[in-house]
Amino acid sequence: MQEHSLAPAIDIAALNKWYGTFHVLKNVDLVVGTGSRIVICGPSGSGKSSLIRCVNGLEKYESGTIRLADTPLEMDAAKSSAARRQTGMVFQSFNLFPHLTVLANCTLSLRRVQKKSRGAASEIAMHFLEKVKIPEQANKYPAELSGGQQQRVAIARALCLNPRIMLFDEPTSALDPEMVKEVLDVMTSLARDGMTMVCVTHEMHFAREVADRIVFMDQGSIVEQSDPASFFAAPTHARTRAFLSNLLH
Amino acid sequence: MMSIFQIWLGILQGLHVTALVTLYGLLFAVPFALLFGIAQHLTTGLARFAVTAVIEFWRSSSVIILLFVFYYALPVFGIELSAMTVGAMVIGLNIGGYASQSVRAGLQALDKGQSEAGSALGLTRAQVLFMIELPQALTAMAPTFINQLIQLVKGTAIVSLVTLTDMTFRAKELAQIEYDPVAIYTSLLLAYFVV
Amino acid sequence: MGFEIGFAIATIPTILSVVGTTLIITALSCAGAAGLGFAFEMIRRSGWTADYVMRFVIDFIRATPVLGWLYFMYFVLPFYGVRLPTTAVGILGLSVYYSGYLAEVFRAGIDAVAKGQQEAARALGLGRVDAVVFVIAPQMLRNIAAPMGNYFVSILKATPYLAAIAVPEMLGSAFDIASDTYRYAEPLTVAGVMFLLLALAVTGGVKQLERKLLKADRR
Ligand SMILES: Nc1ncnc2c1ncn2[C@@H]1O[C@H](COP(=O)(O)OP(=O)(O)O)[C@@H](O)[C@H]1O
Ligand SMILES: [Mg+2]
Repeated sequence: MQEHSLAPAIDIAALNKWYGTFHVLKNVDLVVGTGSRIVICGPSGSGKSSLIRCVNGLEKYESGTIRLADTPLEMDAAKSSAARRQTGMVFQSFNLFPHLTVLANCTLSLRRVQKKSRGAASEIAMHFLEKVKIPEQANKYPAELSGGQQQRVAIARALCLNPRIMLFDEPTSALDPEMVKEVLDVMTSLARDGMTMVCVTHEMHFAREVADRIVFMDQGSIVEQSDPASFFAAPTHARTRAFLSNLLH
Repeated sequence: MMSIFQIWLGILQGLHVTALVTLYGLLFAVPFALLFGIAQHLTTGLARFAVTAVIEFWRSSSVIILLFVFYYALPVFGIELSAMTVGAMVIGLNIGGYASQSVRAGLQALDKGQSEAGSALGLTRAQVLFMIELPQALTAMAPTFINQLIQLVKGTAIVSLVTLTDMTFRAKELAQIEYDPVAIYTSLLLAYFVV
Repeated sequence: MGFEIGFAIATIPTILSVVGTTLIITALSCAGAAGLGFAFEMIRRSGWTADYVMRFVIDFIRATPVLGWLYFMYFVLPFYGVRLPTTAVGILGLSVYYSGYLAEVFRAGIDAVAKGQQEAARALGLGRVDAVVFVIAPQMLRNIAAPMGNYFVSILKATPYLAAIAVPEMLGSAFDIASDTYRYAEPLTVAGVMFLLLALAVTGGVKQLERKLLKADRR
């Protein structure tokens, strides 16, 4: 573990966000300790994506604060690239660059942003492609890979930039069922290595095994959060219970 | 020096020619587009090749060259047309050539089930075409037609080259009389924009 | 006087000799229009005011006839002391006129690149320019190949307009012959036929290129 700061990896306080007149995040408070694994779940439209997109700086927010290991993330995140460079993001729809090979997808940012040489960038990229178990696909194009493989490339691509926090937005929802496991396995091994992770997912088995806290959101607010054991055994909130029973059926 | 107002008045005197050529152009463009678009949709083999060749001729030629070819060459063969007619014909058929492709594309984009349903109801091929296919295709193409109309209005500027006194011609004339090209040509561009 | 085939044939070499000029003017105007159009679109995307202003500029250019632009450049530039060879004025006029259309092509091409691509580029920390150059533009190219090819052919077909400002391209040289010999029908018909053939050849070439480009990109 490379992190020795006492400050939590992510500290969100009184976060509010609007899309026009629509109040999508309402006074959200969330603290994520270094090395912890948070799973966020909740019905569709509850603001889960909006929340982690704010943490990654893909969305602006109107009030409140987001601190990443003590560095505040400005409301208009385009201005605080230093802070957002600490996070890596994995999307539901992979968003690999279709015109670039797997390797080039991974090295693009290393070379353009971190100004690494081609050799150094490739070495880093191959290291992480091995980590997600597809080094042999390095020279293929995204469309030649299965969905599960593409998502693993997307994870490797994000890891290449050496982020301290990994954000996942429903990484397995767009996958065929037989490919879900290979992606979750990669995420589990990341967790074992001590990566700080925030995962929006409805894979409750994964949540139970890997998360040390589950956060339930509904209508823009965090309704309840607790460790997996109590979350599944004794959800306190009626809305959580309704959501869970829906998931199980 | 002329005032901007006078310049505008001068250019707009050409407006009625611009409008007239546009109108005549439509008289060529619309029938051509419908006739050839439908023909290309319905025909096969050699007939289709012939239809396509005519359309391609009008689409692929440069209007301005055709304008002069017809303006100067047709009289040699005993066909005397006014500058207005030649201008309207060339620009009209050129735009008509493009529009025919929209007509054909519109017809082909229709779900095959539409014409099959029509036939199943006992309608003849012509009835299917006029009562079912064309109304849908033409509605779908309305935005394209607006674009093509704009092209037509702008295309009429070429008639100034065969001595019709449209807006562009008027501007050129004015510029020769009054040495204020900046104001005059700026006004000309604005005039088309407004139209 | 009838149509003299012999005289018509005699005019072919002269008119043929300026095909090169026509092609060079076309190529330079294509490059100018594409460059200017891309710049317009990039400026338009840079902010709220820029969007408003550039949209007006682009609409304005698109609503005015090419001949208007050629006269504008030809007569107005010298007024401000800018004296260019007529050929350059012609290329400039065509570039400006078609830049309005190409800006639209670029707009549609960029919009068609999935929104997630832009986001992924940002999430990876790529700067604005890098994102355009390495992520958006290469994908856009596939979307714009066909419409851009069509406009390049249109530019070729617009080169005879330059005869109006005395640029020695194909139509202009036909007129030169005509005014020397007082025979219009033959040289103009020859120019018309040759131009049609040229246009068909270039259209075919552009289609071929397009197909190659798309195939090389089909993954
Ligand atoms: N760019 C946007 N503009 C307007 N409304 C949006 C936008 N993105 C999301 N929303 C709305 O915000 C709400 C929350 O969206 P999201 O954060 O994606 O929820 P979740 O990820 O939990 O499904 C939804 O009702 C959605 O329609
Ligand atoms: Mg979501």
